[in-house]
Amino acid sequence: MISRLTARRAVRSGAIFGYIFGAATASSAISYTRFYKTAAQRDALAAAYGSNQATSALFGPAPELQTVAGFTVFKISMTLILLGAVWGLLTSTRLLRGEEDSGRWELLLAGPVTRRGAVVQALRGLGAGVVALWALTGLITAVGGLDASVRIAVWPALYFALAMAASAVMFLAVGALTSQLAGTRRQAATYAAWILGVSYAVRLIADAGLGLHGLIWASPLGWVEELRPLTAPAPLALVPIAALTAVLLTATVYLAGTRDVGAGIVPDRASRRPQLRLLRGPTGLAVRLVRPAVTSWWVAIAVSGLLFGLIARSAGGTISGSSVQVLARLGSRGNGTDAVLGVCFLTLAVLVACTAAGQITAARSEESAGRLEALLTRPVSRWRWLGGRLLVTVVVVLASGVMAGVFAWAGAASQHAGVSFGSLAEAGVNLVPPAVTIAGVGVLAFGVWPRGTSIVLYALLGWSLLVVVIGGVGGVGHWVLDTSVFHQMASAPAAPPRWEADGVMTAIGVAGALIGGIAFRRRDLQGE
Amino acid sequence: MAALAIRTEGLTKRYGDVTALDHLDLEVAPGEVVGYLGPNGAGKTTTIRLLLGLISATEGRGEIFGLDCQRQPVEAHRRLAFVAGEANLWPSLTGAETLRLLGRAWGSGGSGGSRVRVDEAYRDELVARFDLDPAKKVRAYSKGNRQKVLLIAALMTRADLLVLDEPTSGLDPLMEQAFRGSVREARDRGQTVFLSSHILSEVEALCDRVGILRQGKLVELGTLAEMRHLSALTVEATFAGAIPDLSGVPGVSSVQADGRVVRCQVRGPIAPLLKVLAGADVTELLSREPSLEELFLAQYGGGA
Repeated sequence: MISRLTARRAVRSGAIFGYIFGAATASSAISYTRFYKTAAQRDALAAAYGSNQATSALFGPAPELQTVAGFTVFKISMTLILLGAVWGLLTSTRLLRGEEDSGRWELLLAGPVTRRGAVVQALRGLGAGVVALWALTGLITAVGGLDASVRIAVWPALYFALAMAASAVMFLAVGALTSQLAGTRRQAATYAAWILGVSYAVRLIADAGLGLHGLIWASPLGWVEELRPLTAPAPLALVPIAALTAVLLTATVYLAGTRDVGAGIVPDRASRRPQLRLLRGPTGLAVRLVRPAVTSWWVAIAVSGLLFGLIARSAGGTISGSSVQVLARLGSRGNGTDAVLGVCFLTLAVLVACTAAGQITAARSEESAGRLEALLTRPVSRWRWLGGRLLVTVVVVLASGVMAGVFAWAGAASQHAGVSFGSLAEAGVNLVPPAVTIAGVGVLAFGVWPRGTSIVLYALLGWSLLVVVIGGVGGVGHWVLDTSVFHQMASAPAAPPRWEADGVMTAIGVAGALIGGIAFRRRDLQGE
Repeated sequence: MAALAIRTEGLTKRYGDVTALDHLDLEVAPGEVVGYLGPNGAGKTTTIRLLLGLISATEGRGEIFGLDCQRQPVEAHRRLAFVAGEANLWPSLTGAETLRLLGRAWGSGGSGGSRVRVDEAYRDELVARFDLDPAKKVRAYSKGNRQKVLLIAALMTRADLLVLDEPTSGLDPLMEQAFRGSVREARDRGQTVFLSSHILSEVEALCDRVGILRQGKLVELGTLAEMRHLSALTVEATFAGAIPDLSGVPGVSSVQADGRVVRCQVRGPIAPLLKVLAGADVTELLSREPSLEELFLAQYGGGA
């Protein structure tokens, strides 16, 4: 029963992700064969990326760029590995801790099932979701591989899908364990996200050409990279992956039997002295409510910025000649350090945009959970409430951008990379307009289609990222590229900010927020 | 003349083909305590959400102290305090923090930006009366305790109008008594109370007037005395000798015999029945007014 209920939801989202993974892989492979037709073009590409430490740090090493398979792995796999991990941790915390939070779990546990038995059943259901993710990724990759110019055989395609699913399954298990430790879904997801962040950072340092490649074995994401699908398969790396998953799942099942339903292992203090400072009105409350999540994002942005700054000089030193041209296609100009930072700031732009999106979904969840009524039935107007939330969002996003620039500068300065504070601070502020667009479109959705707020936000975010990553190397029409907010953004500090484009993006965001606000003022409040 | 506390004119809410509330005309005078009854889905909560401006009316209008519910919600909310049937609060805040927030949010709306302070002594008195531990996080509260937070947050404002939507769900009998005491206090102070409930004894104990809602329509509105007058009286007679035939007596219905005891209902004048009974050998005669429960069930076809 629990198994089937969980499986139904996990398989649905696993299938969607599998479809996206497969489609991204196949389209990426096919676009390579169309864009890089001659051996000379492919050699130039290999020369540009093959020993480029910046892209190696961000996307993983690129050993065989002369082949379709090598290029595909380089271009798509790190993004998919990360997306798979995020899917895994969100799905398991949602279907384990989230179900418990909502009280539905208790109804099921009142039946003839133990707490451990229930978790085992739920894990089986989640397993079905991973199988769906793996099968669709493999199937679509294999179908794409049938293309005469691509030629990826069925077994390598399935092995590639296995590598992508491996990251999903490990972080599914991480999420399952944190669901036992934490007392709420958000807390469980935050713990798991921290583990993912550290794994990525360790892997990034290992691949940054600092002579620390051995560190790759200290990161679960490194193990996935070491599977080397499509290029030089090394299934031995499955051993630590399977071992970690088994340990995490065993611990999950064990802990599930030792704790009370609804409670976590990490104690949540039920009582404390009141902290009244911010609780003067809706805006102060918003600050108070978003503080924990924003702190996490800020730490992630600061650490990423610092890391990018640290690797920029050594990575930039490897770039010359044809590399510069290829980086130029990703939007980067200039030489060395600046060009590397230009690419790195794309990652920071995604983080800043995620921070903005999180603010809007948090506002919507106040409404869907019915808590907004407690404020709006008092003399608090809808404008005042929404305006306060948006003010907090703007401040958070601006601070995120500045922080990205300042920490990248600190990292670069420590390596005497010779980049000015001004140019990196400017590059940080340059990250703000795409986030403002995303937030504005989110508010528009919140106003006219409140139940679709997070769908719209994350679809726009995911689409923008996919377009800029796949389209960056070429083979995608301009009208498609133009739909990506990250493509619209100049890749500062490598290129000067395009203020007019930034102005347009900001205007779109403000217009979306205004229209959304007017619609919100007129519509009925809506629950889930 | 002072404005009515609540006034609606043809207030209607439709969701597609479903009419949740159908042309409601309702007037509640300042200082009145009005009960609002109806089974689940009759439109009680819809009425309240319309009055609070949380949803917009398909037709008609509503006013709180003469202020339009849809166009002047903030001004209207300054005059009222609301308790929802489901206490959806912020799980990470403690009870004390929630009360502070809700108190400030209520007080911040004073006219011309002035602040209205919640009477903290009265708040603390309510916290003691309802036996709430304010240091606990909302997450750790039971349903009843979360409900207490909402009740205290509303009562502590001493607003002119209390809008209560099934406010006692989850409260134990002791707290139910504390609630009734607080509503009586509010009435004595001159506050208006609009109480939606399906705990009939609560409404019977507290309310001056009662409205009964059925499928989105207000089918009864009046004092309990008026409603009883319109309803049947239950008469129970015990006979020593022969039992007369009561079925033909004008106004009498639902005659049931149980051994020597006969039960029946009388509508309108009772004299014809008394005449018949006077001729028989009656040893015991009981008559009582219908309870609100009987009135309610009668309205919904569950009773006589």
